[in-house]
Amino acid sequence: MDTLNILLMGFISIVLINNLVFTKFLGICPYLGVSGRIDMAFGMGMAVTFVVTLSGTLTWLIDHLILMGTPLEVTRYVCFILVIAGAVQLVEMYVRKFFPSLYESFGIFLPLITTNCAILGLCLFINLWEIDNLLEAVVLSFGAGIGFTMAICIMAGIRENLNLADVPECLKGAPITLITAGLLTLAFMGFAGMIR
Amino acid sequence: MTLADVYQLWNSAWPAGATMLGLGSGFAVVLLIASEKLKVQVDPKIEQIHEALPQIDCGACGFAGCTSYAKAVAGKPALIGKCAPGGSETAGKIAEILNLQVSESGPAQRPIVHCRAHTEDKTYYGRYQGILTCTAANALPTVQACKFGCLGYGDCVSACKFDALHIIDDLATVDYEKCTGCTACSKACPRNLIEMVPFRHENVMTVACSNKETGKATRSMCKVGCIACGICAKQTDLFSVEDNSARLDYEKYQPNEQTETAFNKCPTCVIVYRGPSAPPPRQPKQKPAAKTTTA
Repeated sequence: MDTLNILLMGFISIVLINNLVFTKFLGICPYLGVSGRIDMAFGMGMAVTFVVTLSGTLTWLIDHLILMGTPLEVTRYVCFILVIAGAVQLVEMYVRKFFPSLYESFGIFLPLITTNCAILGLCLFINLWEIDNLLEAVVLSFGAGIGFTMAICIMAGIRENLNLADVPECLKGAPITLITAGLLTLAFMGFAGMIR
Repeated sequence: MTLADVYQLWNSAWPAGATMLGLGSGFAVVLLIASEKLKVQVDPKIEQIHEALPQIDCGACGFAGCTSYAKAVAGKPALIGKCAPGGSETAGKIAEILNLQVSESGPAQRPIVHCRAHTEDKTYYGRYQGILTCTAANALPTVQACKFGCLGYGDCVSACKFDALHIIDDLATVDYEKCTGCTACSKACPRNLIEMVPFRHENVMTVACSNKETGKATRSMCKVGCIACGICAKQTDLFSVEDNSARLDYEKYQPNEQTETAFNKCPTCVIVYRGPSAPPPRQPKQKPAAKTTTA
């Protein structure tokens, strides 16, 4: 019961309170780049969720089984990026095969998941927070993906409605998007401090 | 570095290398299996078309790059001939791949700079010391007197992928030997001075000015500006005067006696030839006969 409690708390924490996009400002590039339409945003969120879950788990394993045993912790970044790049390649092949239209509309943003800092950030946070339980690492990674999906979908929903709104000429396009992102972040600051 | 140092370095480095190698090969195997399982059949024609294209991703066709153009053209053959750098040769190759006959394509489009004022012809109100791009300089209206002429900071030069544009004495000058007609420069110019023009002949005549002010105002700020006197329009219908600036109808342009007379009679010598073997422009006299008209 205790373990379940910790896992649940960890999940809620990474989705709402320590959301990587809203509180750590990671992964802003696809957050603003692909949030034009809600279906694309959801696809992107799913792709990131898959990559982050896979790489979060794998990097925890690699970190604990290989790197920490030997004095190789300096190579952590390189190894993590290797894992992430591999996972992204996998996702790219999968999306290309089964969702060709989604593949077309993602364009450069799909391979750019490799450089999505939310993913490397999460892998390093898991290390920083000293998570020493594989299950916790998996839940945290998955939660980070869900948090990203939530953030990008909220953003896409707002932006779809913004297209119909009467925005002042000088704020059209990027400025209003950035203002919206800032307001969203402010709103999510309300969760701060709920769980440590 | 002694031998012991090298030995120590090797001792501390090899586990890292071995780990990376191990991880890398592990992922390589996984990805290899995945790429076999998730193989996508790509139309071999798209691949062939892509190889026939110049592969410079200039964007003249209106697509993001050669890859997307190849895909589009394979699905919609009407798009053949959009590749300006490749020209008719590439169009022919694509048509061959798609088993089509390509019809006679239009003449090649080449850029013409609608300004011929070099440093000594222009008037400056001050010295510009800002960011050295035309876009930045264009925001300050008072440095160069002429609001329409070439600024000479070379936005078009940096847009050109073929080294076909150079700033010579503050004037963008096209090297027609190297130009492929990709339209990048005409999009880059903040003053829209560069126009894509059909080159039906080796050299094309043009009115190298786009100043829309009255003849008197133009004369006061530029030695070689078009003063809209209308002498060229009297010679032949190909020239017309609109908005205080003469213009040549490039679609109908044919070199003949009348255009030659117009070339020779232009008081400010703003009618010039452009092309790979263009004859040099006439130089205005020190004090050309001031003949201003209001249009």
